[in-house]
Amino acid sequence: MKRHVALNVNGEEYEIEMEPNRLLLYALRDDIGLTGTKEGCSIGVCGACSVIVGGRLVSSCLTLAVACRGKEITTIEGLARDGRLHPLQQAFLEYGGFQCGICTPGQIIAAKALLDSNPHPTEEEIKEWMSGNLCRCTGYYKIFESIMAVVQGKVRVEDQRAREHREARIQSLGVYKSES
Amino acid sequence: MAKAQEFSVVGQRVVRVEGYDKVTGEARYVADVRLPGMLFGKILRSPFPHARILNIDTSKAEKVRGVKAVVTAEDTVKRPWGAFFADQYPLSVGKVRYIGEEVAAVAAIDPDTAEEALDLIEVEYEELPAVFDAEQAMQEGAPLIHDNKPRNTAMTIDVERGDIQKAFTESDLTVEDTFESIPQWHCAIETIGSVAEYAPSGKYTIYMNTQTLFMARYRIAAALGVRETDVRVIQSAVGGGFGGKSCDDNNAMVAAILARKTGKPVKTINSREDEFLAGSRPRVNMKISVKMGFKKDGKIRAKQLRIIADNGAYSGKAPAITGVAALRHDTCYKYSDVKTQAYLVYTNKIPTGAFRGFGNPSAEWAVEQAIDQAAHELGIDPAEIARVNAAEPGYVSPHGNRVTSCELRQCIDRVEKMMEWKKKRAEKKPRIGLGLACTVHVSGKRHFGDYDGGSATIKINEDGKALILCGEGEVGQGAATAMCQIAAEELGIPMEDVEISQADTDLTTFCLGAFGSRVTYVGGNAVKDAATKAKQQILAMASEMLEARADDLVIEHGKVYVRGAEAKAVTVADVARARLFRRGGSPIVASGSFDADSVLPDETRYGNESGAYNFACQAAEVGVDTETGQVKVLKYVAASDCGTVINPIGAEGQVEGSVAQGLGYALIEGLRMEEGRPINPNFSDYRVPSMRDMPDLAHAFARSYEPTGPFGAKGLGELGMDPTAAVISNAIFDAVGVRVKTLPITPEKVLQALKEKVK
Repeated sequence: MKRHVALNVNGEEYEIEMEPNRLLLYALRDDIGLTGTKEGCSIGVCGACSVIVGGRLVSSCLTLAVACRGKEITTIEGLARDGRLHPLQQAFLEYGGFQCGICTPGQIIAAKALLDSNPHPTEEEIKEWMSGNLCRCTGYYKIFESIMAVVQGKVRVEDQRAREHREARIQSLGVYKSES
Repeated sequence: MAKAQEFSVVGQRVVRVEGYDKVTGEARYVADVRLPGMLFGKILRSPFPHARILNIDTSKAEKVRGVKAVVTAEDTVKRPWGAFFADQYPLSVGKVRYIGEEVAAVAAIDPDTAEEALDLIEVEYEELPAVFDAEQAMQEGAPLIHDNKPRNTAMTIDVERGDIQKAFTESDLTVEDTFESIPQWHCAIETIGSVAEYAPSGKYTIYMNTQTLFMARYRIAAALGVRETDVRVIQSAVGGGFGGKSCDDNNAMVAAILARKTGKPVKTINSREDEFLAGSRPRVNMKISVKMGFKKDGKIRAKQLRIIADNGAYSGKAPAITGVAALRHDTCYKYSDVKTQAYLVYTNKIPTGAFRGFGNPSAEWAVEQAIDQAAHELGIDPAEIARVNAAEPGYVSPHGNRVTSCELRQCIDRVEKMMEWKKKRAEKKPRIGLGLACTVHVSGKRHFGDYDGGSATIKINEDGKALILCGEGEVGQGAATAMCQIAAEELGIPMEDVEISQADTDLTTFCLGAFGSRVTYVGGNAVKDAATKAKQQILAMASEMLEARADDLVIEHGKVYVRGAEAKAVTVADVARARLFRRGGSPIVASGSFDADSVLPDETRYGNESGAYNFACQAAEVGVDTETGQVKVLKYVAASDCGTVINPIGAEGQVEGSVAQGLGYALIEGLRMEEGRPINPNFSDYRVPSMRDMPDLAHAFARSYEPTGPFGAKGLGELGMDPTAAVISNAIFDAVGVRVKTLPITPEKVLQALKEKVK
């Protein structure tokens, strides 16, 4: 039996009709269209699907969407504000804390959840916390450096809107069509 | 020798060109692609390791509401395909040869409906005797997996150079042992997937997370029985490749078959279990017997290998991988007398394939331990034995590989320094040990026909920005950024004035793609060639505008001026507009290409497989707990010779990621298989290293310049994981005097080896 469920994602309300067993991961990706949250292992081990629900870090591949009613849900798409990247996003960019990028939204969200509750973690606390987010590209060194850069206040966040004038970029050929 | 400091963009720590998209979650991976009317495909897999298919009844599945098509081999042209041997079908024809093989597939309106329909497909099988061990499979009378491969032998290598018997006779010490590697899975966090569309005009468009677009197009066209132009492959963002996404699997073919049958776009994304069973094909498992002869001073006099490589049910790239394991390492050290026998054998197990290192991490696991053993027996420092044998510029291997640039000795020196090798050896502590190993890798490999090239096109837009169109693609390793740096450097324009397209077989010219550590070297040379030609067009036009000889002009920071008269300048944008907006005008556009000056190995496997060779030395300090068998890596150091470093952030990342995969290979990875069935193919049971598993790491890049590379660069991507398992094993031996000879080196195996040593 489908039912209406209201979800608050990145400060916006979404009214979705879903089966009661709909996972938050699919509600975000397929119902709302926020595809920044990724599916990696489907069993809550790899951390690619990490999101923050009511201030807590959760694996959205194990979380029922209906259980998130009335709570603030934060995904990677909710981090950049007013044309500025979140300091963690800026740090990952500058320090090369990603390669293929598939685990990156989960890494950044997990790091945000850590720093939200503990702004000055020790090196060991970072390593322990971040061990729930697998990465097969980087060996984790540059992810660790990126997070440390934020902890140590080394990151300056610039206005993202000037981006096209500052950075070389990969050009999309516009082949992706949206269903809506 | 040119130096990195002479460059303005090459050698800079530049931000990734696709970086913003990746840190904001905007990058589009194949699972993020949604097309109007899109259906979801699921694949029915064989539950048996070896069985004849007697009948498939799809009628019940077809009746499920929401199911749009069920396909079997009857919906295909039944044409086999494969990278080297055409031995597999998109959907099984007549029989299945491993657990996980694609038997049938469903397209439905959602994934759950497709899953439900899979359960209703009735397949009648007749089980056949199966064989799971490569050595047993080679015996007379073993179950035959492919009718045309007697003794299940896919390929044999038997090569001797020099006089091996004489060389062993003249050796002062002979070391002999047998080592076994493991099938290691890539475990890219993104599984393989495709979205296929079919137009009634006969054209397939496939969005894929492939590393090798044009190779994928060729294989898909062959399997579908259509021309290459009828298949358009568009690369999505790729969530990790490591060799596993080089199109040796059937995912895209099945999506295309479903798309044709339904007339709708079909998305097939592997589940994690699909990925373990029949997605990214794991590293070829090898049993390697090594025998090496040494002189008293540590010089290698003779080397003999016997390799049994377990191919699994279908061959993919395993023939080339076995060839690399058999012969490549003879380019790392100088000697002339070698003998290699290798057998690639079919078994009823998951097919194996390309994984970072491509045969090197298996061979070096054995050979680098034999060399280390010799060092200990001869009383020579392991760093010293590597140094006295190390390859150098001008060396030609026994199989014809010609070394141009080589800074292996410098790598050994730098590893010694970073590790404080001599000091630590002098102050040896109990249960703490040091180990070291070296490697050689290629920068592209000449084995797909007599071609190891690439191509690219650069156009200069009216605003002075350059757009690179290149089909090599970006798989996460940073190739797109390196290409932009190379183009910016050659054109004399700032990095922010360069863009690169997504790779697309309809819009970019032929490239072999990302494998064999080739993209920076081969693709980079092609981009540089295109940039050189575009620059000539800019200079010719600017010469008219500035009324000066083209030879006297300089392009710097996007401005063209007469050398010594900087004030009188035009911008590249001015030039592009002037050339276009006039009677008979034309845009600035140039195509470049490059084919390495290598030699296709002949039937005796003599040739020169690559245009350039890259080298590395790595060392580890480990502590071994003799009570628990636990091995702790205390410090790891890696020095690499990849020629000029184009982007230090990217290069460091390649080494760091390689070492992580190497440590996983050495210490923790692997799945238990029972009768061809992996037990628990998921991330709980197949562990990969996490952040807390990573040791203190120091790395360095040799001062090096490859004369045939773009701005002196050569390959790097695989170098970092080739020697790692041997490094760890050598360090354990130094610590506690035992060697574990099968991977991974688990605490149980260490304890067992310690017990046996006491006996």
